Amino acid sequence: MTDQPFSIDRDTLLDAYRTMKTIREFEERLHVDVARGDIPGFVHLYAGEEAAATAIMLHLGESDRIASTHRGHGHCIAKGVDVKEMMGEIRGKASGACKGKGGSMHIADLSKGMMGANGILGAGAPLACGAALAAKRRGDGGVAISFVGDGASNQGMFLESLNLAAVWNLPVIFVVENNGYAESTAMEWAVACDSYVDRASGFGMPGVTVDGTDFFAVYEAAGEVIRRAREGGGPSLLECKMYRFYGHFEGDAQTYRAEGEVENLRENHDCIKIFRAAVTGAGAVDPADLNAIDAEALALINEAVAHAAAAPMPGPEDLETDVYISYA
Amino acid sequence: MRVGLVANPFSARDIRRVIANAASLQITDRANIVLRVLACLGACGVSEVLAMPERGGIRAHVERGIERARNTGDERFAPVRHLDFPVTGTVEDTRRAVRAMVAEGVSAIVVLGGDGTHRAVAMDCGRIPIACVSTGTNNAFPDHREPTVTGLATGLAVTGQVPPEVAYAANKRLLVSINETEHHPALVDVALVAERVVGARALWRPESLRELYVTFADPSVIGLSAIAGFLDPVGRREPEGVMVDIAPLPADASRPDTSPAVRIDVPIAPGWLRTIGVRSWSRLAPGASRVPRLRAGMIALDGEREVGFGEDDDVRIVLEPDAVRTVDVEACMDYAARNGLFRRDERRALGAGRPAGE
Repeated sequence: MTDQPFSIDRDTLLDAYRTMKTIREFEERLHVDVARGDIPGFVHLYAGEEAAATAIMLHLGESDRIASTHRGHGHCIAKGVDVKEMMGEIRGKASGACKGKGGSMHIADLSKGMMGANGILGAGAPLACGAALAAKRRGDGGVAISFVGDGASNQGMFLESLNLAAVWNLPVIFVVENNGYAESTAMEWAVACDSYVDRASGFGMPGVTVDGTDFFAVYEAAGEVIRRAREGGGPSLLECKMYRFYGHFEGDAQTYRAEGEVENLRENHDCIKIFRAAVTGAGAVDPADLNAIDAEALALINEAVAHAAAAPMPGPEDLETDVYISYA
Repeated sequence: MRVGLVANPFSARDIRRVIANAASLQITDRANIVLRVLACLGACGVSEVLAMPERGGIRAHVERGIERARNTGDERFAPVRHLDFPVTGTVEDTRRAVRAMVAEGVSAIVVLGGDGTHRAVAMDCGRIPIACVSTGTNNAFPDHREPTVTGLATGLAVTGQVPPEVAYAANKRLLVSINETEHHPALVDVALVAERVVGARALWRPESLRELYVTFADPSVIGLSAIAGFLDPVGRREPEGVMVDIAPLPADASRPDTSPAVRIDVPIAPGWLRTIGVRSWSRLAPGASRVPRLRAGMIALDGEREVGFGEDDDVRIVLEPDAVRTVDVEACMDYAARNGLFRRDERRALGAGRPAGE
């Protein structure tokens, strides 16, 4: 009814920007630190895709669960996992979110509803169905989100999960983060039905495609599918079309990319630039406030790196701790 | 004789699938529509179809369908050539393709999409007629019809078997000008909304709606134009349009009722009936310029939020007559039937230069 320029209040806009910027600085720093040899194991960066995780997670509470992917840092940060603990985990330090035993692809924090990044493609989908079933049985209005890439969406587990979610009418949303490449293979070479919306229709649930580089497009669409799931309306699929600025993994030679592709993406399709232009252009936020957040995000990442660098490695005595859990 | 083809793989994919049970026509079905149209164009003697390149799957399925038919000795499809340029997956593909089709001298452009796709084609096609096939969400501009018939009518029209004065119809459009420098056309409706984001593009929440301008007001279509259609029907071929001044209803039902003059229930999306408060409405005369009352907000063109404007901007809206030409399918088919164009016992059938019985 009011003629507010945005349906989101100013503080939330600033929080969203802070989250996106923190993810960006986190990933940009990892890109440097991997090349420097400071990081053990594989790292897959979320830079360029920040708007999707941020916009979706704004609709979730801590008790809502998410199941992430191998490219999970952005999901973790947006879901509230401690950045210092994440940096420690990626460096294999005892200060890490999983005490340094998981690394980049297995960061989890159940206290934040983050069930884990996942090194197995598509494996988050059945986990999200489980969390959604639990929420449905509890009747607490909770939802679960399964993030999956365009490549992993062809995995049997993912397709089985769509089926299960539909027949059990689970409060789960399958977010397909379509960054155009399954490792190095473009979608049209690998996805037989050509459209994730068609795929969702085949399982009897609605599907939506949004511009994943537009925070507000994702925010609006995610708000609708999450509200629907909370109210018992069942599962849906949300495809976010987006771009990643780096390779599939750090070290990927990216010979499948066209010349100038990444430069064009950074110049014209950067979700953070797009957000910034939208909120400052409409006068909703002062650019100086965003500049201050830029500095805060950078400082936070520097602090996280220093903290992780100084932290000890897990010792031999930690080898068998936190490996199994007793339900007795 | 060449015909252009724009088949949008991304229409009917927005949030209205979730909130309103809107259809989401499958890519393979869109490809099948293209094949049906190609068969009809081929039967009428169209020599080549220039198609927009895309990577949403339609092209792959169409090429597969043609190859499979050819393997079985079936050559009924008009030859297709996809234009050669890098695909962006955005509306720019449509606009670039249409400009290339115009440069190559197509006689008509067959369009598969909703109001938004047709609007994008109309931005660049000039006087070249559009043959409309609805595969979008609201589809107020393209009428609902089996594409086989649209393909036949188009083929008969472009090959001159139906004379142009019968085959093509004139359509109005709305032109939004901002500071006399930016110009944005719409085929069906221009809506002014209070919020300032493009967001998910589609409009499905009436709370933010403030003003509505329509080229025609048909009560038998859905979408924003139905608001005007339910108040004051105006046909596509009539000269005037309609402007509706919206009185937003309080989101909270317990708040004091501001009692707008009229409340109507309108399907602003498929199956999505919303109550709209209306302060007043009036006819738009062709050529007359209107200045909106809303001072800052977003302009939605044919149902999708597109352009923002502020208090310093000079916004004007004009209804233009005879701005877009379309293939008049009913008129073509009626003429063809009355003149025996479908009869095989005549001198020849359908395709010009193609002997009967071949």
